[in-house]
Amino acid sequence: MLQMTGITKTYPTPQGPLKVLDDVDLQLAAGESLALMGESGSGKSTLLHLAAGLDLPDEGSVHLGGQRLSALNETKRAALRRDQLGLVFQQFHLVPSLSVRDNLTLQARFAGREDDDWTRHLLTRLGLDDFAARYPEQLSGGQQQRLAIGRALAPKPRLLLADEPTGNLDEAAAAQVLDLLQALIDESGCALLMVTHSAQVAAPMQRHLVLKRGKLMDRSL
Amino acid sequence: MSTATPSVLRTTLATLLSHYRRHPGQLAMLLLGLWVASALWSGVQAINASARESYDRAESLFSADLDRITRRDGATLTLDDYRDLRRAGLPVSPIIEGELSLSDGESLMLIGIEPLSLPGGAPLAQQNGDADALGNWLIPPYRVRVAPDTLEKARALENLPPFEIAPDLPPATLVTDIAVAARLLDMDRRITRLVIAPERDVELPAAFVRTSPDTLASPGQLADSFHLNLTAMGLLALVVGLFIVHAALGLALEQRLGLLRTLRALGVPGRTLILALGLELLLMGLLGALLGIVSGVILAQLLLPDVAATLDSLYDTTVSNTLNLPWYYWLGGLAITLGGLFSAGASMLWRASRINVLGLGQAQAWRGRLRGQLRVQLLFGGALLAGAGFLWWYLASTAGRQDLALGFTLVALLLLGAALCLPPLLAGLLGLLARYLPRRAALLQWGVADLQLQLPQLSLAMMALLLALSANLGVGSMVGGFRLTFLDWLDQRLLADLYVRPAAEQFEDLESWLNERSEVATLLPARNTEAELIMDDKNAGAVALFGIAPKPILQETWPLLETRNGHEAAWQALTSGAAFINEQLARRQGLGPGDSLQLQGPSGLVTLSVAAVYPDYGNPRGEITLPVSRLATEFKAPSGTLGVVLAPTGDRVQTLSRLQEAMSERFNLAEENPSGGSLIDQQALKQVATEVFERTFAITRALNALTLGVAGLALLTTLLAQAEARRAQLAPLWALGVSRGRLVKLQIGQLVMACLGTALLAIPLGLLLTGALVAVINVAAFGWRLPLHIFPGQIAMTVTLAVVVAILAALIPAWRLRRVPPRQLLQEFAAA
Repeated sequence: MLQMTGITKTYPTPQGPLKVLDDVDLQLAAGESLALMGESGSGKSTLLHLAAGLDLPDEGSVHLGGQRLSALNETKRAALRRDQLGLVFQQFHLVPSLSVRDNLTLQARFAGREDDDWTRHLLTRLGLDDFAARYPEQLSGGQQQRLAIGRALAPKPRLLLADEPTGNLDEAAAAQVLDLLQALIDESGCALLMVTHSAQVAAPMQRHLVLKRGKLMDRSL
Repeated sequence: MSTATPSVLRTTLATLLSHYRRHPGQLAMLLLGLWVASALWSGVQAINASARESYDRAESLFSADLDRITRRDGATLTLDDYRDLRRAGLPVSPIIEGELSLSDGESLMLIGIEPLSLPGGAPLAQQNGDADALGNWLIPPYRVRVAPDTLEKARALENLPPFEIAPDLPPATLVTDIAVAARLLDMDRRITRLVIAPERDVELPAAFVRTSPDTLASPGQLADSFHLNLTAMGLLALVVGLFIVHAALGLALEQRLGLLRTLRALGVPGRTLILALGLELLLMGLLGALLGIVSGVILAQLLLPDVAATLDSLYDTTVSNTLNLPWYYWLGGLAITLGGLFSAGASMLWRASRINVLGLGQAQAWRGRLRGQLRVQLLFGGALLAGAGFLWWYLASTAGRQDLALGFTLVALLLLGAALCLPPLLAGLLGLLARYLPRRAALLQWGVADLQLQLPQLSLAMMALLLALSANLGVGSMVGGFRLTFLDWLDQRLLADLYVRPAAEQFEDLESWLNERSEVATLLPARNTEAELIMDDKNAGAVALFGIAPKPILQETWPLLETRNGHEAAWQALTSGAAFINEQLARRQGLGPGDSLQLQGPSGLVTLSVAAVYPDYGNPRGEITLPVSRLATEFKAPSGTLGVVLAPTGDRVQTLSRLQEAMSERFNLAEENPSGGSLIDQQALKQVATEVFERTFAITRALNALTLGVAGLALLTTLLAQAEARRAQLAPLWALGVSRGRLVKLQIGQLVMACLGTALLAIPLGLLLTGALVAVINVAAFGWRLPLHIFPGQIAMTVTLAVVVAILAALIPAWRLRRVPPRQLLQEFAAA
């Protein structure tokens, strides 16, 4: 599903170039779940952005669904994201001017894959049935993150990329969101690459990798 | 894998537009800006287009290439003159003109023609080659032609022949056979003028003068200054309105940066996003243009009767009270609104196209960069101002031959350069203030620092305010200066207490009679005629000749702009054979004191030396002033007016009234006399002239005030739009113990400070604008220069206006802040 080979990424800083990722290899099979862990600034989010085609590596290659991302132009990479990926952010990034239902179906509509049954199912599974006509600001933090997860899964993506999805939530809400995420992943059969710094959050994942100073290493929990 | 599909575009557009559902105030601000800009511009253009259409119809009627023939002695033409000239074999045709009064006080112009003798190319003569039509025209019950927009009024008149619709006729004009017109106007055997085809090169008897239509200014030319005035004001309102639009778009983008990044992350290609933003602009533009054009037409409909009355009293031009808008008016209104919107939105589209999709959660980052742009803005603005300086120098060095387009470029460079420099200059001023504020004044220090942070959001509204204030000051000073100069000039030119225009045969008797009256101190006879100006052996067109009696009282007060050897020597030269010329002729022909010119008079070529150049405000024509005796002998000028200067008296009004009565009794003179003689009281004349002047600039003042109002609105909407974000910044202060009352005062104080700074910069800009208007635009447009007057009261008013605008604009957000419940402030504190 996702194949990243020899990835290197350097950013310019006032103190000189900073190598964030150094010759990183990562593979993720269809339906597999993987937790990418590491300290702040270790390069986890950068790796996630490269996997999503939001950015391109300086060296190395990223293949998603068999397509080499650096061979695609910006428009085609956007289409690939729309059609094959679901993205969940720590800050939710919901559209405040759209209702819960419209937020939920936004990416599915972009992908031309809106499915009313699936939407109803998601609303029920997310516990947002009674809130469909409300706006994000009227939801709690946990509900907003659940909605963000639902939006990512609504177009039935092949890969879900989640960046610290519980970073903004309290413990109880985080546990609830994680359980739901895991359950929905199992139901939909899509692969999951989740970035987190929490071992507890990473625990349910099938594989665990740790990024340290730009280098990737296996880790058993 | 699919590429961007219409559904992606549709969903993106719907998502972008949903922003305005949550922020209807922003949508209102955007549409308000577009509406105001488009409405004022469209309104002014509707008036101009309608007036232009009326002028075109009038010109097609009057300046139809027909030469006019009048009597050299100024006497009224009669049918006998027509008969004599026809018998002498001259192909002349008579025309009768007069006014028919309506019950509402208005009047319609009635023109009587003789279609068989009227030269064939003239529009008046056109009967569509239809013999029946000509027959109807010539035999009872005759016909009267009228334009559709005049038909209803014409129906109110009695005794008119049946109507025939003629769309090409000017408004308020009726055309009929000369016999019908003579009866309706009670003209007896008198006729208004004789006309002849210009290609007929015939020798006229000496008693008659032939005038080419080229020498008569067309109605459109005469009123050009007025329309230029309106257009400039409309353009300013458009620019100020677009500032509001720009501010609204900038704010909408700032608030949607996160959304745009999310959309990109969810797979919307950059190009689709820009296309959707462009479509959103187009939708807004169409809506704004529609609202604006409809309102503009309503505004024009409301203003048109006043404008028509002003144009009538000022330039004697008839403008239809009904709007007649050509197709290009509608298209032009749409194009200017959409063009303005896209130019205001270009920076938004550009910034949106450069959004870094990895910057999720960094929506505020561009603000920092915006602050960094201030330096670039200062450099760019400085370059524009330097360009304006260079252009001014260039225009000044071309002495007299100034280009109107370059003049407007100069004004645009000045305004744009100053507007661009405003935010960095304000930032500099605030920086200085922050440095020198005492440390104890912590709240004040916070206020200054906070105002610096607000500058990027406030700058556009401040720029709009700067333009409106400086235009207000500039135009106000120009109008004030014009008023002062005009009144002075009127005092100087209207020296006599009473002006008498006797019939030609009465002139000498009246002059002797007046000379014997004890209450008369002196008489100032004047005559008018025209002659061909010969420059470098070529005919340079007709000029007006004005004859005066160079008596001491006239010499003392007559203003001269340029002389060779001083005021007295110039008058000495005039009496011994030289001439004075007006500023318009001096600039047009590049003449000055000491130069020579030649005139083709009835007795041959006359060479004159220029002794002085005098100001002649408002006159579109070149004029040469000579002693009245020369005008009578060398140019056969008809007897003109006699100015009567009263001897010093205890009761001027009574003396004048006694003299008028005696004169009327003896010579049958009245204020309006069918024999052609007339009496005009100088004070009444001055009053009329002043009223006309005030009316001319009433609409300028109204548009100016409206523009200032729009700028105030820009400020208010900007403040309202960011009021929520502002409260989040003020909440910590409240939590630290500053009362809401003090926070309200602080907010008002901040805006007053910013507006005062803007007003301080508007003062020099306004003065520069006045200078450009009087020394460049006026000279290029009308051929004469106004003296520059500075009015301290006007400057103080500008500063006061800025403070009032600031307080008014800050009042609503401040009032809202005062009413925010403490619980909400606590929440905002938590979020801050």
